[in-house]
Amino acid sequence: MKTVIRNLYQQRFSRWLERRLPAAPEVTLNRRSLFIFPSSTGFAFFLLIILCWLAATNYENNLVFAVTCLLVSLFVVSILQCFANLSEITISCLKVTPGFAGQGITLELLLRQRGNRYRGAIQCRFPKGEMTTVSLGDSSQCRFKLTVPAGHRGLYNPGRLRIESVYPVGLLRAWSHVDLNISALVYPAPIFTEQVPVGVRSSDDGAMQGAEGGDDFLALKTYRPGDSLKHVAWKHYAREQGLHTKHYGDNFDQQLWLDWDQFPGLDREARLSRLCGMLLRVATTDQPYGLRLPGIVIEPDLGESHRQYLLAELALFDVPQRERQQ
Amino acid sequence: MIPVWQISRQGLFWLLLAFVAVIMMHADHLPRWVLAASVVAVVWRIQCYRGAWSVPGRWLKMTLLAVCVGGLLLEYGQPIGLEPMLALLVTAYMLKLLEMSHRRDAYLVVLLAFFVAALTALFDQSMVSAGYLLGCLLLVLAALVGLHHGDQPGGTLRPLKVAISLLCQALPLMVVLFLLMPRIGALWSVPIPTHKAKTGVTDSMSPGDFSQLGRSAELAFRVSFDGPIPPQRVLYWRGLVLSDFGGRTWKRTRRTSMDDGALLQWYGQSDKSWDQLIDRRGQPLNYSVVIEPTQQLWLYALDTPLPRSRGVALTRDYRLLANQPLSSKRQYQVQSWLDHSIEVGGLSRDRRAIELQWPEGYNPRTLDLAREWRDKASSDRAFIQRVLGLFNSEFIYTLQPPLLGQHSVDEFLFESKQGFCEHFAGSFVFLMRAAGIPARVLAGYQGGERHPDGYLLVRQYDAHAWTEVWLENEGWVSIDPTASVAPERIEGDVQSLLGSEEGFLADSPASLVRFRHIGWINRLRLEMEALNYHWALWVLGYDQMQSSVLTRLLGKISVWRIAIALLGTGGAVLLLIALWQWIPSRRSTTNPIDRQFILLCEHLEKQGIERKPGEGVRAFTQRAASLRPEMAELLRSFCEQFESMRYGGETPQDILLEEKLRALRRAK
Repeated sequence: MKTVIRNLYQQRFSRWLERRLPAAPEVTLNRRSLFIFPSSTGFAFFLLIILCWLAATNYENNLVFAVTCLLVSLFVVSILQCFANLSEITISCLKVTPGFAGQGITLELLLRQRGNRYRGAIQCRFPKGEMTTVSLGDSSQCRFKLTVPAGHRGLYNPGRLRIESVYPVGLLRAWSHVDLNISALVYPAPIFTEQVPVGVRSSDDGAMQGAEGGDDFLALKTYRPGDSLKHVAWKHYAREQGLHTKHYGDNFDQQLWLDWDQFPGLDREARLSRLCGMLLRVATTDQPYGLRLPGIVIEPDLGESHRQYLLAELALFDVPQRERQQ
Repeated sequence: MIPVWQISRQGLFWLLLAFVAVIMMHADHLPRWVLAASVVAVVWRIQCYRGAWSVPGRWLKMTLLAVCVGGLLLEYGQPIGLEPMLALLVTAYMLKLLEMSHRRDAYLVVLLAFFVAALTALFDQSMVSAGYLLGCLLLVLAALVGLHHGDQPGGTLRPLKVAISLLCQALPLMVVLFLLMPRIGALWSVPIPTHKAKTGVTDSMSPGDFSQLGRSAELAFRVSFDGPIPPQRVLYWRGLVLSDFGGRTWKRTRRTSMDDGALLQWYGQSDKSWDQLIDRRGQPLNYSVVIEPTQQLWLYALDTPLPRSRGVALTRDYRLLANQPLSSKRQYQVQSWLDHSIEVGGLSRDRRAIELQWPEGYNPRTLDLAREWRDKASSDRAFIQRVLGLFNSEFIYTLQPPLLGQHSVDEFLFESKQGFCEHFAGSFVFLMRAAGIPARVLAGYQGGERHPDGYLLVRQYDAHAWTEVWLENEGWVSIDPTASVAPERIEGDVQSLLGSEEGFLADSPASLVRFRHIGWINRLRLEMEALNYHWALWVLGYDQMQSSVLTRLLGKISVWRIAIALLGTGGAVLLLIALWQWIPSRRSTTNPIDRQFILLCEHLEKQGIERKPGEGVRAFTQRAASLRPEMAELLRSFCEQFESMRYGGETPQDILLEEKLRALRRAK
């Protein structure tokens, strides 16, 4: 029951927040977006004020009364100061580094301000991520990175960035929940298997052919009984790295295909994870590689952008359009 | 990057500094070993930070706590009282400082520091210590700021700078709150500081007591009259009535009630029946007194007084009493009728017995003399005149009278014949009582120094004892036997009379009063005095002034007016701070070179050429030049100048750009 109520409350709150602070790639904190409330230390400070007031009143001591007044006005002034510490800061997300499911994505954020007012101890955190404390002032901007764990493959929205500060005196906490409209690509969690991509001789139009056999070194594989001793990688053995066999193939004008159909009988995510693992391995070689998914064919190519393109395809495969746009 | 919950180096530095400052403020009223332990705690904490010593473990902490609490119990015996509680707080503060590891602990230490610092004002309210207190609060605030500073570069002084700016912003609001917040009286009685014995008039009088006070130039109280200060000879500051004579020492009567009811009539209370026995005539004198802490209850006023302040009572013997011991400076208002008569109708049997009492077996020669003279005298008045005449003709007034034995009055009257006011007053009253005339000793101060600012300073050396006798059809009449011996004492001031005597001011070697014959020192002394007086009157005694100040400011005192004034002025102060916060940062934002480009953009925008988002300076000026060929040359040179000064390392001189901009404007 409690959780139901809490969920209901949270839903209402997030809807209200959605209206009040709509998602935007760049958000400037102001009266509308900042919240401020005494921290637990602030409440303890109230207690201190009450104690001082009692001492002043019972001893009819005006000097203690003056101290009490000073404490009260310090509190009031610190409301302004705490608010001003975050107010008029502009937050934007500079760069989103995609990550693999189960690991994390890295977001590079930028805080900037007009002028060079000192703004201390600003804590930034995504709902599930780690917290970072930064300060502004000596320069008018500050770049920093935040890592957020990513759960599932696809497009991931890390949620609202919580930016908060108790500076300068810790009696009050100003905070905001900023939706920077971030959607990060999360690649499938890679699974590395023994399987190698299907090789195709580019001259043989589309004819499938086993990759094995040929002159060019393709990959190392764990030694299996029956493998030719001529192909054993003795150097690796001597380095105590285990017994491996060198596999050779005709590589010169061969294209490698990462193929959905290579993993019959597995479900979608398992296939994507294996394809991802295969892709990561093959991308370290200098052979062109392509990707075949149901309904998608990407011609073999080389290079970092190609790799990312393929990873993105793996990440977004079968992700509903609605989620993609989010 | 350090974890947020850790105590930063800067925070620790300022916490330790604040601790030292706060403890030093309390050095006078803490046991020596607590001070020593504080030093150890600070050193230990520093060594922990440096990694030289280890942080105290759980058992060690427990042991330390037990030792400290045990020590406090041994020291004070009982936990009730201001000093024991303060010592306990300080101990907690010290141990917490030693063991803190989390930022939460540091917050607690800061709150304790604020409270312990505030408590110093209960012990000392002088202007100097108030300034020191402000400094301590500043250090504690710097520690609080330092806790949030992390260890980023920016200097150890940055927290202090921030704290100073916070304090400066808080001060105006504090003044508003101090002026407007209503004071309510004490909610319950509290233990007061138990000070070491202070010099001042005490509630018993033995030969030699008052001459001791002549050695001190300490201030007793200040008085400001609504009109001119009355002449010196009427300034008898009645503080105590001593009716109980033990043969050598005069004391207050221990009676807690008289036959006609309670002894106290508080200000604002309905009149007691004995109040009707006073016949007050003529215009009263209105004045206010700011009295230094005495740790005693009695207050001083001119005869015959009526209190005009809350918490002050008139007693059955027509003096004033406070509701709690004077642990700090206190201000009270009084009305006095110099022209008065008291208890003309007669004394009850009970009262007569009190005012005629003397112990058997003391001063036999004086008793004989009194009886003999009274028999010969035609009236009480004549008898009194004869006694005063005796004093006048044969006695010497001196600050250093010879010591007296058991029959002190006999020895004084027949042998030494030298004395200070207490000798004359005591022996006079004894003579009167022996002759059957009700009489009692009054103790207090006489006279005072007139400050050029129009108020009166009464010092310890003004302490005086005189008498009151009850005469048929006249009631109580004040008589000062000292006036017969040394009328200069009453008419002038003590210093001119006794200044040459050896013992005078012996206990105040550095007092500036000693040097009052040197012109500039005297002026300096009076200036400082005036400053202290206003401090006492306006800050320490503000609760007494508040109603009149508020009436003048608000017209009428009501909750609504106070609330509106509080919100209005407080809000205005905060608004000013908020504005001050924002304006300078806005102004300083733009680089002067960039400013010229922004002006150029504004100028071109008016002509319909708007800079696109993300368009660089060069791209924009080129586009503008293509749209306005007639300005192309000027725009190109502006762009070149801009780029070379902004990026090319050329000395930035916005004046050059300004000229070009002016030329562009003309080109239209």
